[in-house]
Amino acid sequence: MAIIEIEGLAKSYRVYQKKEGLRASIRGLFRRQYRTVEAVRGIDLTVEQGEFVAFLGPNGAGKTTTLKLLSGVITPTAGEARVLGHLPWKRENAYRRRFALVMGQKNQLWWDLPAAESFRLHQQIYRIEPSRFERSRDELTSLLGVRHLLSQPVRELSLGERMKMELIAALLHSPDVLFLDEPTIGLDVIAQYNIQSFLRHYQELRKITILLTSHYMKDVAALCRRVVIIAAGRIIYNGSLSGIINRYGGQKVVSLQFIDGRIPADLARFGEVILEEPPRAKIRVDRRVVPEVLSGILAGYSVEDVSVEDPPLEAVIAEIFSRNGEPPEHQVGQIPELLKEE
Amino acid sequence: MSEHPSYLRVLLTFARNSLVRDMTFRGNFLIDAFSSMSWVFMNLGFYVLIFEYTPMLGAGTGWGKYEFFVFLATTLIINSLVQTFFMTNADEFGELIRTGSLDFALLKPIDTQFLVSLNRIEWSSLGNFAVGLLLLAYALGKIDYSPGPAQLVLYPVYVLCGVAILYSLMIALAATSVWLGRNQTLYDFWFYITNFSRYPMEIYRGPFGTPLRRVFTFLIPVLIVVNVPARMLVRPLDPRAPEDFLLPIFAILATIGSLAASRWVFGRALLSYRSASS
Amino acid sequence: MLARAATWWTILRISLEERLVYRGDFALGTLMRFMPMITQIFLWGAVFSGLYVASGSRPQIAGYSYHDFIAYYLLTMVSRAFSSMPGLASGIARDVRDGTVKKYLIQPIDMLGFLLLYRIAHKLVYYVVAAGPFALVFYLLRDFFPGWPDAWTVACFLASLVMSFLLGFYLEATIGMLGFWFLEVSSLLFVYMLFNFFFSGHMFPIDMLPGIWGDLVMMIPLQYLAYFPAAVFLGKVSGPELAWGLWVQLGWVVFFILASRLAFFYGLRRYSGFGG
Repeated sequence: MAIIEIEGLAKSYRVYQKKEGLRASIRGLFRRQYRTVEAVRGIDLTVEQGEFVAFLGPNGAGKTTTLKLLSGVITPTAGEARVLGHLPWKRENAYRRRFALVMGQKNQLWWDLPAAESFRLHQQIYRIEPSRFERSRDELTSLLGVRHLLSQPVRELSLGERMKMELIAALLHSPDVLFLDEPTIGLDVIAQYNIQSFLRHYQELRKITILLTSHYMKDVAALCRRVVIIAAGRIIYNGSLSGIINRYGGQKVVSLQFIDGRIPADLARFGEVILEEPPRAKIRVDRRVVPEVLSGILAGYSVEDVSVEDPPLEAVIAEIFSRNGEPPEHQVGQIPELLKEE
Repeated sequence: MSEHPSYLRVLLTFARNSLVRDMTFRGNFLIDAFSSMSWVFMNLGFYVLIFEYTPMLGAGTGWGKYEFFVFLATTLIINSLVQTFFMTNADEFGELIRTGSLDFALLKPIDTQFLVSLNRIEWSSLGNFAVGLLLLAYALGKIDYSPGPAQLVLYPVYVLCGVAILYSLMIALAATSVWLGRNQTLYDFWFYITNFSRYPMEIYRGPFGTPLRRVFTFLIPVLIVVNVPARMLVRPLDPRAPEDFLLPIFAILATIGSLAASRWVFGRALLSYRSASS
Repeated sequence: MLARAATWWTILRISLEERLVYRGDFALGTLMRFMPMITQIFLWGAVFSGLYVASGSRPQIAGYSYHDFIAYYLLTMVSRAFSSMPGLASGIARDVRDGTVKKYLIQPIDMLGFLLLYRIAHKLVYYVVAAGPFALVFYLLRDFFPGWPDAWTVACFLASLVMSFLLGFYLEATIGMLGFWFLEVSSLLFVYMLFNFFFSGHMFPIDMLPGIWGDLVMMIPLQYLAYFPAAVFLGKVSGPELAWGLWVQLGWVVFFILASRLAFFYGLRRYSGFGG
């Protein structure tokens, strides 16, 4: 059953354009110039019940905008979307009780209060039955190992602990759909790993549908079977993680270990040398010429060990981004002032 | 399971959480309460000074020293209620819009205006409420007239109407930060507009005063806020004077109208926020 | 020297630009400042009408007629336009608290000089925008004024305005510097604001205060932020008293320049001593 259906979804907004210089600022007092930013330019996507889908893309590609559209925080300029059969931007309570959004860069817990108090507020707002509330709170806090921190003010928690509390707050009402916007941003490796394993476990247990955006390829590789790559507001890839490499990874990395410990000086004629660390070396070669390169090397030098690998995922994706090269338009760091669009 | 949360319970949770928070910063809490009270006493000093020089605020208006203190106490009571429940929230609302954190409020299955308006309760402002009550009792003891039971019942009702009118104005002003960006001047605006409510409406007379009084009675009804309840306590309701009845009736209508208008502005602001946000 | 002047000019220009960005704010803010004036006119109108009925004659309060009162309030608006420094002290205290102040240790810029220029830019833009509304209001209410004073008085008035700007700046800067010693200065700032509001003459002419209270308030420097320039214009102080007043005002300016410099010097030393 399709949980999320998106068709031709687009979102653009107007931004006040500030000009450099004194004279321009004075002119800006009287006449403002606006620029239209197209954050999302027509997205089609269907997500089935129980899928865990990753959104990848450079900053400003439209990932967060898409999540905000799906959670009804903003209204689209064009297109359709249905989540759990609801039109998100109608913001019906019946819909809002069934999903949750977690943003790694914003927090919703009361800063000066223990997380337990914020949870209780959630209980009231989502009207969770006390017994069910206590059960899910206890379950989630023990799964994430933060039970002992419940009565500590949120401001005294570490970033990782805070993120865990944010996740718990989002899951207390047992949503069917979960949107995660960079949930592991800024966390250390251990906290990242903990959150990943929690998410995997929880998703397997509850079979909920999750959309995740992240900059960490590790998150994606650990969690998602399906990947959607967005660049400049459009979907440019939609499929499995391994499919990315088959489709875009036009090159392979050949790792070599030489017996005599010396690296031949003319290795570069086979391909781009990306590592020279005697006795090991790595060269990057086009996938189609791998057999010739291998036979050439094996014939010419005494090699102790050889392996052929795909290039790292990060490298492939970085290449896709740069190839789909319209520079993302609204990557201006900070948007000075957003204005109403009519 | 019902579609809607219990608003009363949510409100109680807000109140409880705010109190827990205030108690963790007890020092600040006391300083806040103390400093806003000292502001009140300074103001009181100013009016004592004025009444050193004149027996009455405006010839024939009936606002002598203690009648005016009743008025002042009413102002205090109303303002402290507004500050306790809404001021911080309206302030934070502008901040939420600017930082984009309003997103979270929009996600919750609860009325967004309710959530935004009452999220935080500023218990320290109730200090002024107490000062207002004491001043009211003191001033009522000093004046000759003593209000009847009807007036004593109506007084709190009209105090609440005043709070509702001020709240409406405040939340509508805060909502405009969606369009205007930074809103420091909105708070100035708020201060200046409510400035008109701080004196008896009789002082606005003459060729300029009369239109001004009408504007701030009928268009932006801030003059009603304190005048209607305060007048109720210091003067008998004359069954022959139509204005003694018309103004209180109008005050009820103005309250409903203001609340409706603020709700409309709030809704428009949310729409704009949602179409502008990235 | 020239390079230094160029630096200062750049700072001034950038500050000007920054002030101009928020248009809606700007226009509203300027108009709004005159709104309390309206209530004041009616309040004192009511006070004097009550007094007239009681006394019958042409009433005065502490030597001010009704017209004098209105003229006085308008003039304090002018002095406040020079002496008020919104956000200066709290800004310095915040910079100290969050460590931004460190940048003045690293960059070759003098903090007080930078802030002064920023303030001047702020004020200049304000005067440009506010000149129109001010002129309009003064024209509309011209009948409340006793007429133009002589050139000497006007010159003294202008001098006291410029000094009230400097006094306001250095006084608030000094208070902001207290952030080096006390972590939480907001309550202190509130007390200052409270005193400033009531005892600078913004709320009422401070010579209205009876007995010892009046004498006390006249001794502290706050009166130079609002009351004194207005009193000069209205001829309330003249002759040797006026000259003496200007000297005392200058004395306070110098005092607070030195105080803020010293506070900055010792504050920074304390700060780097802590390893901030």
